Amino acid sequence: MIQANNLCKVFKDKKRGEVRAVDGVSFECKSGKVFGLLGPNGAGKTTTLRMLSTALKPTSGTAFIDGIDVEREPQRARKRIGFLSGNTGLYGRLTAREMVRYFGRLYGMQKDVIAERIDKIFTLLDMHDFADVRNDKLSSGMKQKVSIARSVVHDPPVMVFDEPTTGLDVMSSRTIVGFIKQCCNDGKCVIFSTHIMSEAARLCNRVAIIHKGKLYADGTVHEILSSSGCDNLEDAFIKIIGE
Amino acid sequence: MHPGTVWTIYKKELTDTLRDRRTLIFMLAIPMVAIPLLIMAISQLMMSQITKQIEYESMVIVQGAEHATDDLMARFRDAGTLKLLTENEYRASDSTHKGDLKDALIAGDFEALVVIPETFDSAIESETPTTVEIYYDQAEMKSEFTVDKLRDVLDPYKEHVVEQRLKSRNIPADVIEPFDVSKHNVAPMRKLAGEKVGAMLPYIVILMCFMGAIYPAIDLAAGEKERGTLETLLVSPASRGDFVVGKYLVILTTSLIAALMSLGSLTFSINYMVKGLASEIGKMLMLQLDVSTVLLIILVVLPMAGIFAALLLSVSVFARSFKEAQNYSNALMMLIILPAIASMLPGVDMSYQLALVPVLNASMIIKNAVSGTVQWNYVATAFAASVVYAAILLFFAKKWFEKESVLFRT
Ligand SMILES: Nc1ncnc2c1ncn2[C@@H]1O[C@H](COP(=O)(O)OP(=O)(O)OP(=O)(O)O)[C@@H](O)[C@H]1O
Ligand SMILES: [Mg+2]
Repeated sequence: MIQANNLCKVFKDKKRGEVRAVDGVSFECKSGKVFGLLGPNGAGKTTTLRMLSTALKPTSGTAFIDGIDVEREPQRARKRIGFLSGNTGLYGRLTAREMVRYFGRLYGMQKDVIAERIDKIFTLLDMHDFADVRNDKLSSGMKQKVSIARSVVHDPPVMVFDEPTTGLDVMSSRTIVGFIKQCCNDGKCVIFSTHIMSEAARLCNRVAIIHKGKLYADGTVHEILSSSGCDNLEDAFIKIIGE
Repeated sequence: MHPGTVWTIYKKELTDTLRDRRTLIFMLAIPMVAIPLLIMAISQLMMSQITKQIEYESMVIVQGAEHATDDLMARFRDAGTLKLLTENEYRASDSTHKGDLKDALIAGDFEALVVIPETFDSAIESETPTTVEIYYDQAEMKSEFTVDKLRDVLDPYKEHVVEQRLKSRNIPADVIEPFDVSKHNVAPMRKLAGEKVGAMLPYIVILMCFMGAIYPAIDLAAGEKERGTLETLLVSPASRGDFVVGKYLVILTTSLIAALMSLGSLTFSINYMVKGLASEIGKMLMLQLDVSTVLLIILVVLPMAGIFAALLLSVSVFARSFKEAQNYSNALMMLIILPAIASMLPGVDMSYQLALVPVLNASMIIKNAVSGTVQWNYVATAFAASVVYAAILLFFAKKWFEKESVLFRT
């Protein structure tokens, strides 16, 4: 479970001065549910997710992963989070197996546990054929699977996805969407950001709409539609952020 | 710091790096192929230059030849590789030869001008002191060699005159020669060969030490940003300090391998290849590159590789992209080359102040060691200073690796 309480992040930018990328954002996502963070470019989605995943420290506010304060005990929180974004890449000169094994070690897992886990994940994602091929030589769909395998090697109860389908072709996108559903069925707590409304409508149990760093709405897709009086999420989104 | 995690990171990064062709080129190909070829080319060039200078027939003009003794002129004309012309012969040989002889010498019309004073003949006769002047152009190697050849004529003639005078007084010639100094004329060769290679050696080792670190350093930090793998590391439970140390050790490893491979390759080439080419030059060069010198060089290269690895890692962590890190590294290389070149300058002598200057201290120590002097007080100072610098730079790399504004620079 993820809890964000009044999260704020201020960047000091040379040209723009102080940028309030995230400004007082609070929400809660439960295990076994998919929580969608919707917002246009520059809304603060990435920044919010980076604070949850401990890559960035909040300027103020707190976040808890399964009750663990990410700022006080980042090490413990990190072990419970799997992170995947559209920009996360691979080590081209390592094979899928080497790469996933490396991350298993970074997460403090024992060698035999890792080997078992790799076998299980690679079977699930149908990766055995290219498990020992260098990542450079893989198709983009295969690369996506390696990224997924990397993010779940430590079997985290919380998954953070930042625009995971951005820039992917249809097949790779389907792989990811299927994987998110799988995570949800496995009882994991999933949060993911997107600006594609149809994707959000299809996947999410709950959505939050974020714009210019502020949270504009938070509820089930149904609640959002009825409170805005629109019949699709895109219109509701436009109406809510007021443009 | 967690040794287990550092070891995991080190193993992964080393595997990754050793699969990178660019790293392998700097670590193995250049030291093992390019350096022997370079040494071979240089020694060939030096050999042919030296032989050319020595066998070259130098043109010498004698002004006031009519005042010289017949004996002296005969000796000049008999000298093997000297082509002697009196001033008159020279002026008559070509209608353009009218102006000042010294100007013609500067212009390179001939290699040296010998001026015999009007009183020379009578001075020798009357046993009063006199002077023979030789004008030459030090900027021209040919001209310098010609002076040596002229001295080879003048000195024996002088001895001959002395001998005559002693004889006329019935004094045995031994009187003026209480002991014998046996000197061997290898001076011009040492100037060419020994010093050049001696000065080149630290330069090559230092340069390779740096180049061996460049690509791994860029790849291990800026490369992570560019590939989008950095964020996956940051959200892993391994501490940021562990990443910095693990990565640092990998860069240090490749840097040391490149430097040691170069040193080994240089030692081998100089000791075996050059020796085969020309025994005399070979002997001169291999003189100082023995086991203890090589060990000393390793001792100075070690902390210097520590500095380079930390410096390049800091720069790479700071850079936004691969390209930017490359630009920084190239700029740094210029900075590294400067002190290495400075150490080659004649008249730069080791002192405690210089021993504190990074890179310059190492190249000075190597240069001196190759020419046979090891001053342990300076070696110790340089070693300690370099270790401190490396530690400071590594601390910076770690600071930056923990700083959001550096990691997520936009
Ligand atoms: N490291 C940084 N330094 C300065 N400003 C930043 C930094 N990261 C983000 N910002 C700014 O903060 C704001 C929010 O950015 P963020 O990346 O969180 O938005 P986003 O919702 O993920 O947008 P996108 O859909 O384009 O990915 C933007 O104005 C951005 O320029
Ligand atoms: Mg984003």
